[in-house]
Amino acid sequence: MSSLTLDHVTKIYDDDGEDVVAVDDVSLEIRDGEFLVLVGPSGCGKSTTLRMVAGLESVTSGEIRLGETAIDDRKPQDRNIAMVFQSYALYPHMTVRENMRFGLEESTDLGDDGIDDRVEDSAGLLGITELLERRPEELSGGQQQRVALGRAIVRDPEVFLMDEPLSNLDAKLRSQMRTELQRLQEDLDVTTMYVTHDQTEAMTMGDRIAILDGGRLQQVGTPLECYHEPANQFVAGFIGEPSMNFFPVERDGDVLRGDGFDYPLPPEVVDRIAAGAGDDLTLSVRPEAIAVADGPGERRFETTVDVVEPMGDENNVYLQFPGIDGTFVAVVDGYERVERGDTVTVEFPADRIHLFDRATGEAVLDRSLTRETAETETGRTI
Amino acid sequence: MLRLIRSLVERARRERQQGGHRQDGEDRVRTDGGTVDPAVGSRSRGERAAATVRTATEGEFLRSAVFWLPPLLLTGLFVYGAIGWNVVISLTDWNGLGDPEYASFDVEMYARMLSDATFLAAARNTVALLVAFTVVTLLLGLFLAILVDRGIRFEGVFRTVYLLPMSLSFVVTAIFWAWVYNFENGLLNELFRAVGANFLVQGWISDPQFKLAAVVFALVWQFSGYAMVVYLAGLQSIPTDQFEAARVDGAGTVKLYLRVIIPQLRASTTSAAVVLMVFALKAFDFLFVLFGTNLGKSVDILAVMMYREAFGSGNWAYGSAIATVLFLMALSVIGPYLYYQYRRGDL
Repeated sequence: MSSLTLDHVTKIYDDDGEDVVAVDDVSLEIRDGEFLVLVGPSGCGKSTTLRMVAGLESVTSGEIRLGETAIDDRKPQDRNIAMVFQSYALYPHMTVRENMRFGLEESTDLGDDGIDDRVEDSAGLLGITELLERRPEELSGGQQQRVALGRAIVRDPEVFLMDEPLSNLDAKLRSQMRTELQRLQEDLDVTTMYVTHDQTEAMTMGDRIAILDGGRLQQVGTPLECYHEPANQFVAGFIGEPSMNFFPVERDGDVLRGDGFDYPLPPEVVDRIAAGAGDDLTLSVRPEAIAVADGPGERRFETTVDVVEPMGDENNVYLQFPGIDGTFVAVVDGYERVERGDTVTVEFPADRIHLFDRATGEAVLDRSLTRETAETETGRTI
Repeated sequence: MLRLIRSLVERARRERQQGGHRQDGEDRVRTDGGTVDPAVGSRSRGERAAATVRTATEGEFLRSAVFWLPPLLLTGLFVYGAIGWNVVISLTDWNGLGDPEYASFDVEMYARMLSDATFLAAARNTVALLVAFTVVTLLLGLFLAILVDRGIRFEGVFRTVYLLPMSLSFVVTAIFWAWVYNFENGLLNELFRAVGANFLVQGWISDPQFKLAAVVFALVWQFSGYAMVVYLAGLQSIPTDQFEAARVDGAGTVKLYLRVIIPQLRASTTSAAVVLMVFALKAFDFLFVLFGTNLGKSVDILAVMMYREAFGSGNWAYGSAIATVLFLMALSVIGPYLYYQYRRGDL
């Protein structure tokens, strides 16, 4: 067991003489036994990063280290890592047992008995013992997924690499496997790098998450850090469901002037705004932070309901400022009766707003976070 | 064949009756859960006749006849009819000028084969050619396909180069190889002389020791490109994930191909092997151009012997019997393949 370090790793593809930067100077340390989720939209370079660690792509510059040893010039078979593919990539002509044996036969000196023991153990751990003699084509998607995991686990590698392993499962099975995978990783305590485009998977599974966009690392932190203190507007918009609301505003002293509303800033918030912040800002507030108010007041706005998405215990309500085209989302209690066309007064609480520089996207104000609010938030939203 | 036609006609007749001649007054349950309108049974005769004509023309069977009937008749007559007639002739004693006698049938011709040394030699050569040619061609084709599939430069050019011999007529390639193998001034022997390897200078197509091997080599040259294309298609249908998973699992290149990739090419191997074996059985034109009809015991094959017996010596019945044996050999190659396809639901 050891940690995995990416040290200024860059990947440049040559596309007909033109350089395409897929991964741009990513530095990242995955601690021993840690579950790190690499998340980002498609084409952000997360899979390329994973494949460079696996040795399936070469590294243009930078270094990848396993413990203290640089591994980026080793062949994939000499790296002692196991990978779970999105398509599972089970060998169709082999039974489940042969699939699981293959890696051990090729990468270890274990005898037949030793291999058999390891395969039986891993199969028992995953509950696929009765599938051992079947072929992949006879298995359901969920079973194939388990076998793919088994094939990785049986190797007992230094690092697990997982490339969107749950994305081919249906929603119910996916959330079930999410929990199971997490428990498994905790039991095995193997350093794991997990790639996904699904922010829910990132939030729920990762010890820490690393958010990539356009080949650049945006933020690395625990799920709650990324949720409550996003480093920039991209992270703020990517993490959280429904997505955060953004309003372009001009700062005019203690007031933010937006399209259809003015938002006065209380002095304690003004004090926390980063020094040197410009006046072109983005006011951001999470849908779950927007509160329905019972009367007019400061930082309260009258809005019209455009669409209501009932979710059961909560409703996602799309609201409009009067006379303004765009909508924003608020999550309100499921028992509150709101219908299309209703007029609702909502409050953006001053301690729950974020401000981003509109030009750079960098955060200039995080929501204020006391110990108590962090705990109640954790209970409610995560 | 006849039974098939009869059953099809039978079915069409039944369909017609069901459509037009419901005459009992009871409600009939239809497959969709409803009942048949009893009014159908009480239609006037004219209406019924019109309905009969209508269902007959609307029936899929008859409407599609335009497409299947002409080819069925043509192949029925010229392929299956000819095969049948050939078998019949092989049972007579027909030889020389004159007409065959269809009065008495016996298997004398087939008995004669067993004691005919020429036939036995030709049969042995045919099998040897079939096996050696097929195996070597498949191995070479697989090797080329793997090389071309590894993302080399000018992949398209190599593919064309390897496939090119396949597009040439056997007459052309036979003459071409006759020149290459020529003892006096052939390319091969000249090459050996040039490098001073005089002990390698041989009468490649005159020495009985090398004749068959020389023929196999030339045929392999011509057909390995075909095997390569079939394997290449198979290789390219294997997802990249399979290669990557095996490499991450610790397999080196050789193990990767031996244990993961080649076993997945079984379908390609089967289809290429069938085509090659059937070709080997009828490698007539190549040998005929190279050697004429008297090719000598060491390279005589059944296809040429059949031609020699029938059209050279006028032993029509014996030639037909050899043709029947060849037919059965081809069938024994194709039959299992078709059955295998049928079992997999591809037919």
